[in-house]
Amino acid sequence: MSMLLEVSGVSVSFDGFRAINNLSINFAPAELRAIIGPNGAGKTTFMDIVTGKTKPDEGHVIWGDKNISLLGMSESQIAREGIGRKFQKPTVFEDQTVRQNLAMALKNPRGPFAVLTHKKTAKNGARIEAIADEIGLLDSLTRPAGELSHGQKQWLEIGMLLAQDPRLLLVDEPAAGMTVEEREKTTDILRRAAETRAVVVVEHDMEFVRRLNCKVTVLHEGSVLAEGNLDHVTSNQQVIDVYLGRSHA
Amino acid sequence: MRKSFLSENPSVLWFIAALGLFTLMVTLLSEATGAGLISTSFVKTLGKTLCLCLIAIAMDVVWGYCGILSLGHFAFFGIGGYAIGMWLMYARTEGIVLESLAGQTIPPTPQEISDAIGNQIFGVVGSSEFPMIWAFADSLFLQLLMVVLVPGLLALVFGWLAFRSRVTGVYLSILTQAMTLALSLYLFQNDSGLRGNNGLSGLQNIPGFEGTPQSTIAIVFFLISAAALGAGYVFFAWIVSGKMGSVIKGIRDNEARVRFLGYHVESYKLFVFTITAVISGIAGALYYPQAGIINPGEIAPIASIYLAVWVAIGGRGRLYGAVIGAAFVSLLSSWFTGGGAPDINLGFYTIQWTDWWLVLLGVSFVAVTLLFPKGIGGLFDYLVRKQP
Repeated sequence: MSMLLEVSGVSVSFDGFRAINNLSINFAPAELRAIIGPNGAGKTTFMDIVTGKTKPDEGHVIWGDKNISLLGMSESQIAREGIGRKFQKPTVFEDQTVRQNLAMALKNPRGPFAVLTHKKTAKNGARIEAIADEIGLLDSLTRPAGELSHGQKQWLEIGMLLAQDPRLLLVDEPAAGMTVEEREKTTDILRRAAETRAVVVVEHDMEFVRRLNCKVTVLHEGSVLAEGNLDHVTSNQQVIDVYLGRSHA
Repeated sequence: MRKSFLSENPSVLWFIAALGLFTLMVTLLSEATGAGLISTSFVKTLGKTLCLCLIAIAMDVVWGYCGILSLGHFAFFGIGGYAIGMWLMYARTEGIVLESLAGQTIPPTPQEISDAIGNQIFGVVGSSEFPMIWAFADSLFLQLLMVVLVPGLLALVFGWLAFRSRVTGVYLSILTQAMTLALSLYLFQNDSGLRGNNGLSGLQNIPGFEGTPQSTIAIVFFLISAAALGAGYVFFAWIVSGKMGSVIKGIRDNEARVRFLGYHVESYKLFVFTITAVISGIAGALYYPQAGIINPGEIAPIASIYLAVWVAIGGRGRLYGAVIGAAFVSLLSSWFTGGGAPDINLGFYTIQWTDWWLVLLGVSFVAVTLLFPKGIGGLFDYLVRKQP
């Protein structure tokens, strides 16, 4: 099976500091993957490179069935190609209602004139309601997003990602600041999403990663240190030394 | 669709009703068409105020809704004024010249007529040659096209360069100030082709209507300005409602997020910047025939800053707020600076409002920004909330 996203030999430096060092990592079309690693391991920079925010110094980022390169594409082009990104801090449009937030994210033509002449359709309405139901916000469609609780905002943002109908979801610390029940629900949403698309979760919280029950990639100093299921990587001596060992010290 | 747009935006209907009522009242009280209780000069002031309201809603769309603090939109207003002013001056001078040459036994050649018009218009800056930019001045249609095209193209090129380089925030504001300052300084030069610091004058005289009294011309321009404001209001309300409104408000609140949703943010900013510049040009083209004169001082950087102050005091992010702010502050400004407000004698010092008005305006601006960030328009929120 060909890969959805192939990152190979990518390096990037900021003022001489190598944030990503010859990183190679692949994702299948439908999989759930967790990326863990200590602070400064390059997790966020990796997402910045894939989504076009940061240009790497060298290496290749190859996407999709047609094997196109994502390097040189703008953030909005990459998003239209089917890569969605959720930020660590929930960033929803607080002034606007849940429905408006979802409508903006819904997969539709993105040009100014298409948007200006956009008409509300029953089909779009049904899609919005289906997504709102999935993230548990069906009753809150008319509420301003600013009124939502922290966990609800996180779900709304995940819902906006789903509305984009991306083939790859990059999710940065979805469980941060959530209660235990909220975490369980978030896990369910992500696992369901991963049935039809690739979902990559960057996470600090080992308990949350264990609950995701998926393949784990450990990053360290900008490259892959270990890969496999959680028990496999946590028993790896190098991983214990650089990450687990240090955090337990 | 139009029906659903209006039913979802009842404030648009309220605004149009209020504007219609106001227009009717002024028409019935004016000298030309009514009881004569409102002087012609005040009709002109009100007509000009409506044009300022029109540019204020444009400013509100670009700043209050899209988050681009442009401090250069008065440049587009001025360009609109100059574009229409060129035709007004040319056509009127042509009429005068033809009349004075009519008595000659030998009919004047076209070159003689052209020289005589050039002499009349550019004598004041020591020239009689028509500069290139006056090539279309004899055509009302082409100059009306300029009212729209020149501000639109300038905004398109400027905006493309600025937004493409992702210039945002205060840096963009400074760039727009530089743009309006550069334009103003250029126009101050005698060889700019637009009569330097003299500007264009006599614009209140409309060619072809020499016999029509100013009182009638004033009320006609007032009505056109009111119609333009009403149309502009509906147009902008349509732009900022629906999905387009969602996207541009999203750009204001979190540009990066909108980008990662797959929207090409720069195109949207360029669209908003350009469309508001075009409307500003139209507002200027209606304003200056009522003012009678335009000179480069009109597009000095301070004018665009005032515009931002009006919108801030009226209330950003709501179109009627911009209208209230522009009308309230500009009328108050002419009252204070025109000697309408009585001086306050403190015994040891006399507060003369012509000098102190700017201080009062500055203090109100700071106070509104700090204490009532929603501006005067925010009062409507309380009214609406009180209803059951």
